[in-house]
Amino acid sequence: MKTEFSPRAKVAIYGLLCVLAIPFVFPTWWMVTSSVKPIDQIFAFPPDLIPRSYDFSTYAQVFKLQPFAQQYWNSAYIAAIVTIGTMIVSSMAGYAFARIKFPGANLIFMVVLLGLLIPSEVTIVPLFQMFLKWGMINTHWPLILVPIFGAPSVFATFVMRQFFISLPGELEEAARVDGLGRFKIFWTIALPLARPALAAVAIFTFLHSWNLYLEPIVFLTSPERFTLPQALTQYVDVYQGPMWNIQLAAATLTAIPVLIVFIFAQRQFIEGLAHTGLKG
Amino acid sequence: MAPVTLRNIKKSYGNAHVIHGVDLDIAEGEFVVLVGPSGCGKSTLLRMIAGLEPITSGELEIGDRVVNDLEPKDRDIAMVFQNYALYPHMTVEKNMGFSLEHRGASKAEIAERVNWAADILGLKPLLQRRPGQLSGGQRQRVAMGRAIVRNPQVFLFDEPLSNLDAKLRVVMRGEIKGLHQRLKTTTVYVTHDQVEAMTMADKIVVMNAGKVEQIGAPLELFDRPANLFVAGFIGSPAMNLIPGKVRAGAFVDQAGNSVSLADGPKAEDGKPVILGIRPEHFEIAESGGFAADVTLVEPMGSDTQVTFSVGGNELIALFHHRIAARPGDRLVLRPVAGQVHLFDPQTTLRID
Repeated sequence: MKTEFSPRAKVAIYGLLCVLAIPFVFPTWWMVTSSVKPIDQIFAFPPDLIPRSYDFSTYAQVFKLQPFAQQYWNSAYIAAIVTIGTMIVSSMAGYAFARIKFPGANLIFMVVLLGLLIPSEVTIVPLFQMFLKWGMINTHWPLILVPIFGAPSVFATFVMRQFFISLPGELEEAARVDGLGRFKIFWTIALPLARPALAAVAIFTFLHSWNLYLEPIVFLTSPERFTLPQALTQYVDVYQGPMWNIQLAAATLTAIPVLIVFIFAQRQFIEGLAHTGLKG
Repeated sequence: MAPVTLRNIKKSYGNAHVIHGVDLDIAEGEFVVLVGPSGCGKSTLLRMIAGLEPITSGELEIGDRVVNDLEPKDRDIAMVFQNYALYPHMTVEKNMGFSLEHRGASKAEIAERVNWAADILGLKPLLQRRPGQLSGGQRQRVAMGRAIVRNPQVFLFDEPLSNLDAKLRVVMRGEIKGLHQRLKTTTVYVTHDQVEAMTMADKIVVMNAGKVEQIGAPLELFDRPANLFVAGFIGSPAMNLIPGKVRAGAFVDQAGNSVSLADGPKAEDGKPVILGIRPEHFEIAESGGFAADVTLVEPMGSDTQVTFSVGGNELIALFHHRIAARPGDRLVLRPVAGQVHLFDPQTTLRID
């Protein structure tokens, strides 16, 4: 049943929602405005919500002080590969766990899920030793392989499995009668129907990879290989103090793809998670 | 079209035996209905014919091939599922042409076959819609269209009307029957609704607890049920079954009411039997039947259904005319001559 509110109640509700939104909107607002403020204005008290003067040279500094374009590209292509790789692995693994009966399927799935319970900090040292042995330190391989075959992919597999479980079995049977084999059923029937769940997986995998911080600082050593979250920490003066306005300008540039992705895909993201019975 | 032959078909899940050896011959072009209560194994049997369930033992032939080990796609069958199983992300046209596409048919051939099926089923205006934009009846038609485009040897229907409302069910029943008369493809149809079975089938297979109880033409099952189960299952309202004994060529119930068996089945004197009378085979008489107390009168326009209490048994009678009886009235109910059935209470089999 749809509840109708009086105009006065509507104003009150929207007013309350606006107040509640402040803690979420303020950090972004502060980041963007502070990126164009001279450094002494950033910590002025009371703070200026709107800058008194604008200094866009901070954005030029971002690119002068570090190979920021290269780092941007690093983050972008790593996130893209990780997203595509995770979508492939999780959709196939999720489908197998949901629809193919094989001995020990549930046990194997439980073992896979256990991967979610191990914090990444615990595995980082053994992973470092492994990648060192493989000669992959200061390459992007660890940042690609660990998420695709690690915890993010396990979570994505869980999401996809939950979706595929809800697909009616009759659809697959109809496809079998229509002449399709197992892979074609997956590819032409199950996967297109899993688009909302796949979109959710794509969004959170992209965000996870884009924001990855611990792994880059462990595995990467040269600035031209850095990813963005790691690069942000490098905007410091000779005393290792943060160059706030430049750092916030870089942070603003870093946040743009994330904001774009979320603005355009938030509906699919929420629908996808709703389909899987998970809450954000 | 092709004949289908089942030879001692069995199905077990571990130690649970669900189909206990079914033998069935389905002739070319025949419309066979598998009917029975929920859990009797009729859908499992159909799924075994389709190749969606492995056969534990026995032999299944479609045409002149043993198909036990063939995949569904290689059996040359088409199936209509209970929930239609239309691909939600494809248009009606794509749904109908999907199987042909995967069998390597040319675009022109697919278009021709889809248009032919759409014409027959009145789906032409709906070809570009998706299943989500169709009503239940339209979806049912698309599911049938998907089955007929391929021109398979056998059609399999798994309770295809059970999701439709009563009125639409009657319409679709007629359409399926009409389609069969037009295409003459061998059809195996599963339902739990005995009215559907009676109205559609050339041959009915009554199943119960994984066994075939009787196979025969609809009226044969109605007129000469082989056992108590079929007697109670076929016909609506169900046949009245009254326990009693045979005495001096008449049936006598536990309350002492006597019915003559002069024109009917014969059994030895003193033998316990169960008398079966269809509700529509009662008439009201002055004497020579059951002294019955009216408990409920249900006028249905053309018919009147009356429930009686006779010596603790409940009997239902269906009259094709209006009756002025009221609850509490006492009447004498007599079976129409020659329209009674006798069953052995121990073997449950019919006595002729």
